Amino acid sequence: MATDQQTATWYGTGEAVSRVRGKAFKTLCLSATLLALVSVFVLLLYVANDAFQPLSADMGWLLVTIGTVVVPALGAIGYYYTRDTRAGETATIALGLPVASLLLTGGVFITFEHVVSVYQWLSILVSLVVAGGIVYAHSRVRTEADLERLVVVVAVPALALWFIPGLILSLPMLPTQSLTLLGSFVVPVAVVVGLFVRRQRENDRDGAIAAVLTLVGAAAGFGVAPIVGITPFVWMLLVTVTAVPVSLYVESVIRRGAGVSGLAFPLIVVGGIVASVVLTDALGFAGPTPWLDWGFLTNTPSRTPEDAGFYPPLVGSVMMLLIIVISAFPVGVGAALYLEEYAPQRGRWGRLVDLIEVNIGNLAGVPSVVYGVLGLALFIRAGGLGSGTALVGGFTVGLLILPIVIISSQEAISAVPDSMRQASYGMGATKWQTTRNVVLPEALPGIMTGNILAMGRAIGETAPLLIIGAPAVVRIAPSSFTNKFSAMPRQIYTWSGEIDAAFRHGVLAAGVVTLLVVLLLMNGAAILIRNKYQRRE
Amino acid sequence: MSERSIDVDLTRSSSGRVVKERVYKWLLFACAALTVFVTASIIVTLAADAIRFFEKVSPAAFYTGTEWVARSDGGTFGVWPLVTATLIITFVSALVAVPIGVAAAVYLSEYASDRMRSVLKPSLEILAGIPTVVYGYLALVYLTPALQWIGIPVSTFNLLSASVMVGIMIIPMVSSLSEDAMSSVPDSLRQAGYGMGATKYEVSTGVVIPAAISGIFSSFILALSRAIGETMIVVMAAGLRPRMFNFANPLDNLLSSGQPMTAGMVNAVTSDATGGSATYLSMFALGLTLFVITFVMNLASDYVASRYKEEYQ
Repeated sequence: MATDQQTATWYGTGEAVSRVRGKAFKTLCLSATLLALVSVFVLLLYVANDAFQPLSADMGWLLVTIGTVVVPALGAIGYYYTRDTRAGETATIALGLPVASLLLTGGVFITFEHVVSVYQWLSILVSLVVAGGIVYAHSRVRTEADLERLVVVVAVPALALWFIPGLILSLPMLPTQSLTLLGSFVVPVAVVVGLFVRRQRENDRDGAIAAVLTLVGAAAGFGVAPIVGITPFVWMLLVTVTAVPVSLYVESVIRRGAGVSGLAFPLIVVGGIVASVVLTDALGFAGPTPWLDWGFLTNTPSRTPEDAGFYPPLVGSVMMLLIIVISAFPVGVGAALYLEEYAPQRGRWGRLVDLIEVNIGNLAGVPSVVYGVLGLALFIRAGGLGSGTALVGGFTVGLLILPIVIISSQEAISAVPDSMRQASYGMGATKWQTTRNVVLPEALPGIMTGNILAMGRAIGETAPLLIIGAPAVVRIAPSSFTNKFSAMPRQIYTWSGEIDAAFRHGVLAAGVVTLLVVLLLMNGAAILIRNKYQRRE
Repeated sequence: MSERSIDVDLTRSSSGRVVKERVYKWLLFACAALTVFVTASIIVTLAADAIRFFEKVSPAAFYTGTEWVARSDGGTFGVWPLVTATLIITFVSALVAVPIGVAAAVYLSEYASDRMRSVLKPSLEILAGIPTVVYGYLALVYLTPALQWIGIPVSTFNLLSASVMVGIMIIPMVSSLSEDAMSSVPDSLRQAGYGMGATKYEVSTGVVIPAAISGIFSSFILALSRAIGETMIVVMAAGLRPRMFNFANPLDNLLSSGQPMTAGMVNAVTSDATGGSATYLSMFALGLTLFVITFVMNLASDYVASRYKEEYQ
């Protein structure tokens, strides 16, 4: 008995075991979680409402749209959720992929329109092909000259990029834009598609068919595009960037045979939209006047809210992302490779590496506004680059996301099983050969996921752009990396200073929805890659 | 052809290949070392211009002054109005984020079914992925009018809605880092708790949270350092007018506008102050202060996480 009294702090001896308290605690925790989520999602609903103004439509329009689009879609979702979750997954991707690839098509179009012209692209491509050929030939002719090859690998592409583009651009006769695009963009894409299909199927003929289909589909634009009412140029981009991935996905689902009914979901949605447009037209119901429409995406910023558009900031964001992809990603992945594969664990060097790792962790926590100051001092004042240019913006935000890129790439690389490295060493491969041929391909999906998420972070950064002097309003889309540029969040910040309610609750909401849609699709793509990768393991 | 290459491979000297290996190694090392260069250049550039600022304004006046007037031709630079605004933001956002974040972490790690978790976790990740300019917009255009509507007399720009929004923004950070800490508590500890007759509630609050406390605290520190450095929400929703902390009526500070340090930096560069003026240079002094504070907090977070970590087999 005495011992019982000494151990009076046993769980549950203090009072009767109470279920109420545990349940209350669980409910409290759940409701706290939901409070955070719901409060933000309610606010975002308000934003969407402001951007699309659904209540400005006729009652009849709303009823027809609900009947043709919302009800069938909800019915389909209900069916997938209860009966066939695999098809639900397919449905999500089948709806998201076309939207995402359309967005990518827009990005590619903007790139060709404002960043590199088709002819510049062609000349770069030709010089790279020539350089690659020379390097390859050198490796075949002089198999033993490893040192010499190092020089060749660095020097030949540099020289080729230096001389050949000017040579091609100064040619007196160049083919039309569309023909050039066919040769310099569609053909490489078709080759990549062919190689991809061949590797997936391990079948040469299927690969060839896929490549030829891509090429023919794109070339058909010369005949079909004018009938549809678009230029052959846009047609080719639509075929190569939108239609090809979508049809590859559809084909893979049909071949897999599981969740095929999910493919019907986008058809239900699109069919519903078409039916709604036809019906409301026939019945004479007026639709809403949304702030976020085609005009908003293609106009330039303006003092009057009705004309205000988002096009120059969109172009600016695309340019900034291009710079980041070229500059920050290779450096970040390289640093991660060093830290995971090469870095010594012990000794003086080991301590240096520890320092680098701690430093990277801390850099990830440095406020973004400080990176802006760094970019201002490093690139504008010391480097002599123009203030507020896309180049400086890309470099500055690139530095900001560098720690994120490194940390996520490190995680992906360290997840590669050691046995694969051992196997590669066992076959006599050197460290670099192992890294390049075994570790990097295996870690690539994880690295891609991290990099896309980092891009999502980059596209929303505003404070560094303010500090490096990105102008408040850019009326003409920048045409080169050394022009002043504005990015989507920068423009949103400018609009937030307008007091007019039409700006606050209309234009601003439309800009925010555009930014969020881009982000959501990027994050969705990243999660998709991650899931596919995890399942394979 | 192939015969010859086999011959050559076996007999040739490996010096070229060794050099190639070394070149790649040093190239990759340069990438990693770049991060040290970034830190160094942050410190050097901030310090260099902060020194120029302190030649115009004495450090004593800067760090003890209670009035901040930044004009394009000079002004008074006492940092305390900005620091107090930053502290208010940090404190109130912690009040929002810490309880909700920890509760969410407990729910996710201890209570949530797999299906629930597969919905809640990505939703929280989406919350973390929303750009701060969007949070600032939400605070300015929706939250502030909502606060006015329920009868809180806030002005158009105010610290209250800015700090609540900052709090919401850092919830995912607290919850995901705390959840990591709680999930890494070994199951045997929980089983032991159940074995002693403890309820789920008693195991959660009496076993899991104490065992994960170092990770939870380090997540607080990281999240608060994020709140201190947050820029766009406070620039958009808190306004750009620096005001000294009103000790007579502390609540009044929340309801009226204020200018935290980050907003002060943005103001210095977006105003028409010229390159060498004290207003422009004040950005670097503020930046240096901010960098030091967040750097120390990040180091402290690392230290807490590793120093007080309970070691389990």
